[in-house]
Amino acid sequence: MLVEIGHFALILALVFALLQVSLPILGMVKNNVALAQLAKPLLWGQFFWIIVSFAVLMNAFVVDDFSVKYVANNSNTDLPSMFKISAVWGAHEGSLLLWAMILAGWSVAVSLFSKRLPAEVLNHILVVLGFISIGFLLFLLITSNPFERLDIIPLQGRELNPLLQDFGLIIHPPMLYMGYVGLAIPFAFVLSSLVRGQLDSTWLRWSRPWTLIAWAFLTFGITLGSWWAYYELGWGGWWFWDPVENASFMPWLVATALVHSLSVSEKRGAFKHWTVLLAISGFSLSLLGTFLVRSGILTSVHSFASDPARGLFILIFLVIVIGGSLTLYAWRANLMRSSNSFAPLSRESGLLINNILLVAAMLSVFLGTLYPLLLDSLGLGKISVGPPYFDAVFVPIMIPAVLVMVIGPFLRWKKDNTSRVFGLLKTVWIGVAALFLVALFLTDNIFVLLAVFLFIWIVLHSLVLLTQRLQQKGRPSSAFFGMLLAHIGIAVFVLGATVTTQFGIEKDLKMELNETIDIKGYQFTFKGVDNFNYENYRGHKGVIEIAYAGDKIATLKPEKRQYVTGMPMTEAAIDPSLYRDLYVALGESLGDDAWSLRLYYKPLIRLIWLGGILIALGALLAAFDRRYRLKVVKS
Amino acid sequence: MSMIMWFVLMIAISTVWLVWFLKNPLKSNLFNLEKSNVALGKQKQAELEQDLRQNLIDESEFNQAKQEITQTLAIELNQATGSDTLAQKNIPLWSIGLMVVFLVVASLGIYQLLTPQPKAESTPQVVEQSEPPSLKQSMTKLKQYLLEKPDDFEAWQTLGLVSFELDEMEDSLSAYERSYQLNPKNVSMLVEYASAIATSQNDQFTGRASTLVREALEINPDAPDALYLAGLVAVNAQEFDLSRQLWKKALSLLPQDHPDRPLLEDILVELAQIQGKPMPEHQVVINVSLSDRLRQDGFKNHYLMVYVKAAQGRPMPIAIQKIKLKDFTGVVTLTDENSVMPSKKLSQSRQVIAVVRLSQSGAAMKQVGDIQVLSQVIDIRNNPTLDLQVE
Repeated sequence: MLVEIGHFALILALVFALLQVSLPILGMVKNNVALAQLAKPLLWGQFFWIIVSFAVLMNAFVVDDFSVKYVANNSNTDLPSMFKISAVWGAHEGSLLLWAMILAGWSVAVSLFSKRLPAEVLNHILVVLGFISIGFLLFLLITSNPFERLDIIPLQGRELNPLLQDFGLIIHPPMLYMGYVGLAIPFAFVLSSLVRGQLDSTWLRWSRPWTLIAWAFLTFGITLGSWWAYYELGWGGWWFWDPVENASFMPWLVATALVHSLSVSEKRGAFKHWTVLLAISGFSLSLLGTFLVRSGILTSVHSFASDPARGLFILIFLVIVIGGSLTLYAWRANLMRSSNSFAPLSRESGLLINNILLVAAMLSVFLGTLYPLLLDSLGLGKISVGPPYFDAVFVPIMIPAVLVMVIGPFLRWKKDNTSRVFGLLKTVWIGVAALFLVALFLTDNIFVLLAVFLFIWIVLHSLVLLTQRLQQKGRPSSAFFGMLLAHIGIAVFVLGATVTTQFGIEKDLKMELNETIDIKGYQFTFKGVDNFNYENYRGHKGVIEIAYAGDKIATLKPEKRQYVTGMPMTEAAIDPSLYRDLYVALGESLGDDAWSLRLYYKPLIRLIWLGGILIALGALLAAFDRRYRLKVVKS
Repeated sequence: MSMIMWFVLMIAISTVWLVWFLKNPLKSNLFNLEKSNVALGKQKQAELEQDLRQNLIDESEFNQAKQEITQTLAIELNQATGSDTLAQKNIPLWSIGLMVVFLVVASLGIYQLLTPQPKAESTPQVVEQSEPPSLKQSMTKLKQYLLEKPDDFEAWQTLGLVSFELDEMEDSLSAYERSYQLNPKNVSMLVEYASAIATSQNDQFTGRASTLVREALEINPDAPDALYLAGLVAVNAQEFDLSRQLWKKALSLLPQDHPDRPLLEDILVELAQIQGKPMPEHQVVINVSLSDRLRQDGFKNHYLMVYVKAAQGRPMPIAIQKIKLKDFTGVVTLTDENSVMPSKKLSQSRQVIAVVRLSQSGAAMKQVGDIQVLSQVIDIRNNPTLDLQVE
């Protein structure tokens, strides 16, 4: 019965969303404040019923209610309690419910924390968010009902994908969804402004912190996904240019452009076209990502379902959202005209170049992701677009973007001159050249040298900028510190990604008992394999002792698991440090106590995720700048 | 509290929430859009001055930027419609009533619309006593019975078998699993369950299916059915000598008049032929004609599955071709190359039924909405050609 209550709560959430859209619109049209002001309470009601629904589904997992098809398909009595909870979003239906809950949660946050936003504007924004909620709730109820009952109740459920039985699953999807769904907020701000015909400072100012928070979550979610894939998939990789990874990366690139575009639009009144289009395309790409994952077009660890009906629903929703918002954009284009001029060498130009490069980078990823799908669907053959394409196209676009990124903050608004900029930065560039010369003695790897150059370039510019700003009157804003932190995060990421790719060592080999292999001075000694049993799996655990310069530094125990339902799984063991990871994955038994093993040496790989975390923290720091606490005189 | 009462309570909470906020609207925060833009304009001016102090803008450009901020503000104030002064009005009672009715009707209506009706209700309640119940009716009755007696092992096993015969594999596996949980020591159930699992995994006697066969033989090493399946497991593992031993043992245990003896004898002959001399090859040519409706674009990505299965016994395909409708030419020729199992070539079969199934998903098992046509029983040794019409 509880399950039916959960289902009914979801339906009530949909009804509240329908009222959230219709009644405030009626109120605005009829000039009735009682109706217009219903947007907030109806949204809260919608959120409440989604939470009830989510809690009911979670309870069904915890109490092993296998009468629910979704629970029976993704959980069993042997599953540890922690994973029973995270299994709620371990497959299609539950993750969609999580999506809807996060969307309502974001909307509630906007309704509660936008106290300086005029009520009329806020009501419009909540109406747009209500529209999006209706789309997702209908999608859930019509094609993806998580509360569907089974006619015959099995005594035991199936296995949650072993890949997903991991701490990473508990936090990666919610964080990523926070970012994905968060892009609905700037989208709603833009759409409400277009509908009202007021593309003013209020919209630009108050949508910026929300965009920064969404961008921070998206960055953190992608970083977590990369870390999770690294330690869980047993391949030792951190990014695979998998189409589903790309589906989250494309909105990130657009959101990165958007946060920069917003700053120019807000301060200088320029780039309004850019800002509007970026906000629309950011959320549209989020929906596109959802379409790719849910339609079954893609086969990947992320693809939960192969269901054309679901794909069709999202495709229609996508067409409505993109078509509708672009129509509005075309209708209101005259409101975005700006006479605010700027010279080719100015801060505005620097940000414009970066925006163009980020969008070009996004388009290169878009092409590489969708072109094979398009060819396949048109029956023109199958092609595979992988890392060679992305490395050849994406990386060259991003190098100038990274170079320009740190020059921009030194440029003056509106107009600057080369001699001033050169005079200001020549010492920095001499410093960069000097440090780079030192690097030339350390390696002759061209890619690593390029990465070291970019690292020095970004860090030195950032440090000089910080010093300059600290010498001036007044404490720099937290947005300034956020920008520096995010830029340094990029530098750290670039260094880590390049060094680990270029200098990483991978050995796939057969090891006899007590055999020792040397990798970069680390001696890996195979000490055999033990059998073990756990709650819902059993398997083999290898023992590998690692010594450096004769001293034992770690004992790694990679696992080869066999889940009760028969699914195999490799669990790598890692000795982590900031300078290098030592990574071991257990393969197959080759008889006579010999086993196949994969050994990896990964220098500086932790910098990749450290960089991601710094970017996310920088965004959060910028989002909580004091300028967003501006007091406005009440009427 | 019954489910209906819970629903009533949830609707009541929603109604109270809605009506409360209709009667006591949230106060507007009184921030005026124009004042907000003016305040932001002032802040922008202050920030511009700070930029000037920090040398982030040239003196001459500063004045122009200042002017631009003023111009932008003027445009924004011009754009303002003044509609942010909404009037406080009471909502008439009938309007509130209408909203409450919408809430109740919409929530219950959508629930009714989206909740599948129990299958039992869709079957005819009155069955003519003179006719024996169909398999479908038996299954429905069994399900109803099991709702009251969920611990009846035999009923679960029977349900597993009936569902298997009806090609409802998901139900069949669930029912067998339930019976297994109730009594894992019943050999006939273990054999049936193993067969069902193997059928669901394209006739592969691997994984759980082979485990169940092993469990059955541990309980009764002389069970002919279990020995027969163990032979298939051995064939799957390419251990033909072992499978011959197992089938010979099964044959020795069957009474002389047992109807399965010819099957085992045939299979032993075929096994010897596989290991020895080559067999003559046979084929089935099937002309499939599609109705005009199915030739429309909407079906072009559907799958056409054309296969033959044994006329008696297990419904697993012997040879199959799976073609997208858009690639279909009208004629399908099944030969040994299309055989599903290396140990059971098409040419080794005799009495079979040809099946043409049109499926949107292309799944191995028949799905809801699939269209299926069956032929009469045909003899492979005649290299038959037949016509089947799919509508």
